[in-house]
Amino acid sequence: MRYLIIGASAAGLAAAETIRQWDPRGAVTVVSDEPHPPYSRPLLTYLLSGEVSLEKIWLKAADYFQEWGFEALLGEQVVQVAPEEREVRLRSGRACPYDRLLIASGARPRLPGIPGEDLEGVFTLRTLADWRRLDAALPEGAEVVVAGAGPVGLKAAEALARRGCRVALAELESQVLPRLVDTQAAAMLGNALLEWGIEVYCDTKPIGLAGYKGRVRALALADGRELPAQAVLFAIGVTPNTEFLADSGLAAAGGVPVDARLNTGLPEIYAAGDCVQGVNLLTGQPAYVPIWPAAVEQGKIAGANMAGANRRYPGLLPQNSISLRGFKIITGGLVQPEAEDVEIVSELDRRRGHYRRLAYREGRLVGLTLVGAVADAGIYFHLMSQQLPAAEPVTPGRLWG
Amino acid sequence: MKTVIVRPERCVGCLQCRLACAVEHSRTKNLAGAISEQVTPRPRLRIYPGRQHLAFPNKCRHCEPAPCQQVCIAGAISRTPRSTVDIDPAKCINCAMCAMACPFGVLTYAPLYLAPDKRAVALKCDQCPEREAVGRKPACVEACKVGALTYGEWQEAQEHKGWALAQAVFASLQAPPETEPAPPPGIRLWRRINS
Repeated sequence: MRYLIIGASAAGLAAAETIRQWDPRGAVTVVSDEPHPPYSRPLLTYLLSGEVSLEKIWLKAADYFQEWGFEALLGEQVVQVAPEEREVRLRSGRACPYDRLLIASGARPRLPGIPGEDLEGVFTLRTLADWRRLDAALPEGAEVVVAGAGPVGLKAAEALARRGCRVALAELESQVLPRLVDTQAAAMLGNALLEWGIEVYCDTKPIGLAGYKGRVRALALADGRELPAQAVLFAIGVTPNTEFLADSGLAAAGGVPVDARLNTGLPEIYAAGDCVQGVNLLTGQPAYVPIWPAAVEQGKIAGANMAGANRRYPGLLPQNSISLRGFKIITGGLVQPEAEDVEIVSELDRRRGHYRRLAYREGRLVGLTLVGAVADAGIYFHLMSQQLPAAEPVTPGRLWG
Repeated sequence: MKTVIVRPERCVGCLQCRLACAVEHSRTKNLAGAISEQVTPRPRLRIYPGRQHLAFPNKCRHCEPAPCQQVCIAGAISRTPRSTVDIDPAKCINCAMCAMACPFGVLTYAPLYLAPDKRAVALKCDQCPEREAVGRKPACVEACKVGALTYGEWQEAQEHKGWALAQAVFASLQAPPETEPAPPPGIRLWRRINS
């Protein structure tokens, strides 16, 4: 059996390793458009701040592909998938035949689509090449605007502030981490950001980038203000990489649609990771949640199914961990539940700076926000993903003791 | 694998295991020295009030496969040759992904003398590798006075527990059926009148 995997990150490698466990003799080929060995994307912001060094971001040992017996095609971009011929065409002109194909092509950062995006000094941060570009272009004390106060934008802003840049954070919605935390947690985070010297501008829509001699000079906002900047970093979300699927009929607008077995509809093609249009575990509704733990889980299930298993993916549980200079927020599930039958229980410990917000529906936990004390987060997520009854306050002793 | 086996029904919540654990994971490895260290050593197991029992000791189970290892974005969590799950403080970036993944909530974040330049790193039970190298039991097991924490092969412990349960079920089936004590004469009379 010839297995072909497009993408060599969380989902792709998890799938490759799972295939190897199920089918020790199958030929596994991994294609990635990046020339480097697999590295940890979430570490790029830590790389930016200097908390980790370049040699620590590699996910696997140097001889990983030989050891597992995978063929690696690094630096090769896939331009077309031809399901009829059962082959994948690469930019170099090479065609790779397959018996089972996994699409784990991931996602790339979105840009808002405003004038001036082609100016020098406009960045996104998703790949190692992005980091190299950004790292090289930042003089000390530079003024940087980070657009988007999501997990990536926040961590990038904190990293840039740590490097001595003057950072302004611009957010479209009325608070930082919109759709991930409630106003109380956002206020606590906002205070921390102020303390670190990061200016936060909420309710602001970027409308254009002002430039001078081809270099970005400022970010113009809808309310008429201009934030001066030698560099602008957009962290406003990602969009799935599905262009190469355009004429195969596998892609839809919000990513590759898959069934509960992570199959795309064609029996030999599966998809996993950030390129997939997922289903929220708690609501059963389609949801696009590009997070690392879900990508690993989907990769394992898709890999097993490609090798002949029949495993089902129950749906993804949104969860995020944001850790900035020891200030930790873990959030997940339904944060702003629309339904009326959701009961919210929240506790605030001002002295210690701890906050806990739990959302219950029909005696089951459906939403969680923890600020400060995050040690028990995994227990809550376990209760949520298993849909166990959890009416009383949750402590490990009450659960198991 | 040999591991710390927890018997919550025996635990009285004296917290001596926590003290022993903190001392074992200090630089000086003795109580007097540990107290005065610059980076306060922290225990890696916690005792909660229990529902059925007095107290419930909670520590890393060294799961296989380990959810924390799978989500670690820094590659700091690995399985050691003696099949425990270990965190490398030099690689840990304090991102709290492991706390999000651990279904038992055993991770804590605190400074560690092995990583002096870091604000905090993830800490959990490492099953005292230095003690095992010289053939000693883990510190918490040595400290436990009531047999709530013992050290042994978990398969054996599970087998023994299953055997004990089977014995108890068997014994209850063998016992003569309990006869109800006769009600006092007044109640007997009252019942007869009512029926």
